[in-house]
Amino acid sequence: MKGIVFVKFNEFIEELWGDEFWDTLLDEADLPSEGIYTSVGTYDDQELFTLIQLVVEKKNISSKDAQFAFGKWVFKELYNVAPAGAHDFKDVFEFLHAVQDFIHVEVKKLNPDALLPEFEFLSETANTLSFNYLSPRKLCFFCEGIVHGLAEHTGQQITVSQLECEHEGDNRCVIEVVKI
Amino acid sequence: MTLSNEPTLSKELSLSKEELEKRVAVLERKAEREKKARNLAENQLEKYSLDIYEANQSLKSALASATQKQSELEYLAQTSSKVASEVPLSEMIDKVVALTGTFCAACCGAYITSEQGKEVKGKSDDVWHLDDSWQPNDEFRKAIHSTLPIAESRVLDSWAVLDLEPNCVEKHAVFTSLFYTNFALSGDKVGWLVFLTKTGAFNPDVLSVLKTSREHVLSGVRRRLTDVRILKRNVQLQDSLNKLEKARRQLIQSEKMASLGQLAAGVAHEINNPIAFVRSNMEVLKDYLADYKSFNNELKATFDKNQTLDAALFEKISQTLDLTYIEEDSEDILQSNLEGLERVKGIVDNLKGFSHAGDEALVEMSLNTCISAALKIAGNLFKYEHKIDNKMSNACPKILGNLGQLQQVFVNLFVNAAQAMETAGLLTIDYGENKKGVVVRITDTGSGMDEETLKQLFTPFFTTKPVGEGTGLGLSVSYAILEAHGAEVSVDSKLNVGTTFTILFPSI
Repeated sequence: MKGIVFVKFNEFIEELWGDEFWDTLLDEADLPSEGIYTSVGTYDDQELFTLIQLVVEKKNISSKDAQFAFGKWVFKELYNVAPAGAHDFKDVFEFLHAVQDFIHVEVKKLNPDALLPEFEFLSETANTLSFNYLSPRKLCFFCEGIVHGLAEHTGQQITVSQLECEHEGDNRCVIEVVKI
Repeated sequence: MTLSNEPTLSKELSLSKEELEKRVAVLERKAEREKKARNLAENQLEKYSLDIYEANQSLKSALASATQKQSELEYLAQTSSKVASEVPLSEMIDKVVALTGTFCAACCGAYITSEQGKEVKGKSDDVWHLDDSWQPNDEFRKAIHSTLPIAESRVLDSWAVLDLEPNCVEKHAVFTSLFYTNFALSGDKVGWLVFLTKTGAFNPDVLSVLKTSREHVLSGVRRRLTDVRILKRNVQLQDSLNKLEKARRQLIQSEKMASLGQLAAGVAHEINNPIAFVRSNMEVLKDYLADYKSFNNELKATFDKNQTLDAALFEKISQTLDLTYIEEDSEDILQSNLEGLERVKGIVDNLKGFSHAGDEALVEMSLNTCISAALKIAGNLFKYEHKIDNKMSNACPKILGNLGQLQQVFVNLFVNAAQAMETAGLLTIDYGENKKGVVVRITDTGSGMDEETLKQLFTPFFTTKPVGEGTGLGLSVSYAILEAHGAEVSVDSKLNVGTTFTILFPSI
């Protein structure tokens, strides 16, 4: 996973619970990288999962909530470092389409080895969009959070739900976004 | 969740020493991580920079090699198209010199030819220069004379590069190397492509391209030399053809005269007959004239004596001389003489028409007229025991032909028929018509021919006649004439039964 995610997760945890908590997490997690994260590096996915698991245990929250909260928080951070041209969107649906067609293309140019989730759009009406979230990392709740962060940015009211979810025993994750 | 700075500060101030130390340790670890992360990032950036630099370098070299390849391909394509074009040899070579010189960025270059180790002076002393101009260049000539192994005349199979010694170009030490190739031209001639460069080292890749283009140029040179040879050969062939055509015409004419010679005896007899009876008739007429003279004299004498004419006497003398008979006979004799002379005139006319060389133009003509005339010429070869059944008539369709030549053909066929039927026989001439044209059949009941003879029937100089009698050219000449008429000839023959010649003339 790209270093930017770890750097942002670090910032997110410190903002929420302070650098001492982060220090404790690293101490207990005993990670191969020792928590030395830089946005230009690439780190093992497992380090993020270990850190999230520790947060879940220590703060007594669900993994789903933790992923969701991080996703919602991290959108604006990622948006700020997104490639030029990714800022011209005013609508959630439009942006979600652009993720696949434009943003990920740009990301690939800079990081040819980046493993990116894919969106397979299933149906779309004026107010409802559903897509299949495809990623071996299975961070569908993180994705839900990001969509919320996106709506916050565009100033749109939406609900996000999962019609199908691999964590619920389904074969795939289908995320539905409805404008209210 | 975020706390304002002030309470944190006051909280930190109120911390115990132990807590303070713990706080410092956390911050120290954090700072350490930040430092390491920064190093990591800097290393990564350095690596990226290096990667980018290397990628850039390899792109540059790829671009350079692509540009080089492109110029090589352009050079080869342009050379090939010049070689494949129809431009003459000298123009092609000039273009190749310019293209090759430009491609190799040579200073100047030229094409020269040598014969037996010596340079052949060309039409122009002009040398190609990199600015694509052609002008004389003494330095180039000097450098070539002192370096190029023209005297060896050894033909290379590729290009050779020679480094020029500074002293060999003396004060004009501007050229550093010379590259050249050569190839054999027609005869002992050798063609040389020579270039001078100012830059020393020669790129081996360029040499391989030059070698390829050399092959192209060589094939172009060979093709053009072959073209010239073919052109020369063509002119020679045309010349031979004209000579042959002239010889053929002479042959036809001489064969005609030869057959005329064969016919001469018969023709002489044919002419002699009427002349003989005309002559004897003239003798009779001479006597008759004498009778008239004496009759006249007697009448004159009587008139002089008596000054009058006695009718009884006149009657008496007239009866004595039988004047009535003389008058009647004279008329007959004169008529017979006129006819006899007419016959002679006819024979002479036909002979004249036959022997006349004439032109070869084909005009609309009657086969009936032609065959009748031929029969008149050859007719006396047929004796009383021979019968001639000529079924030709004016109803026979006209054809395109040359009367004189076809007459020659028929005379030849009739002579052969007459000779085949030594003692007696029947000559039949008839005609028919089919889709292809007019068919004339000439059948004799003569000795016929065996297969061996049939095979060689139209072969020149083949003859079954004793030496001195036949030229062996008659039928071969006839065949050539008929071929020129677009006619088809076929022969049917059975030994001791007879022969039929069938000639098909195309319809008009």
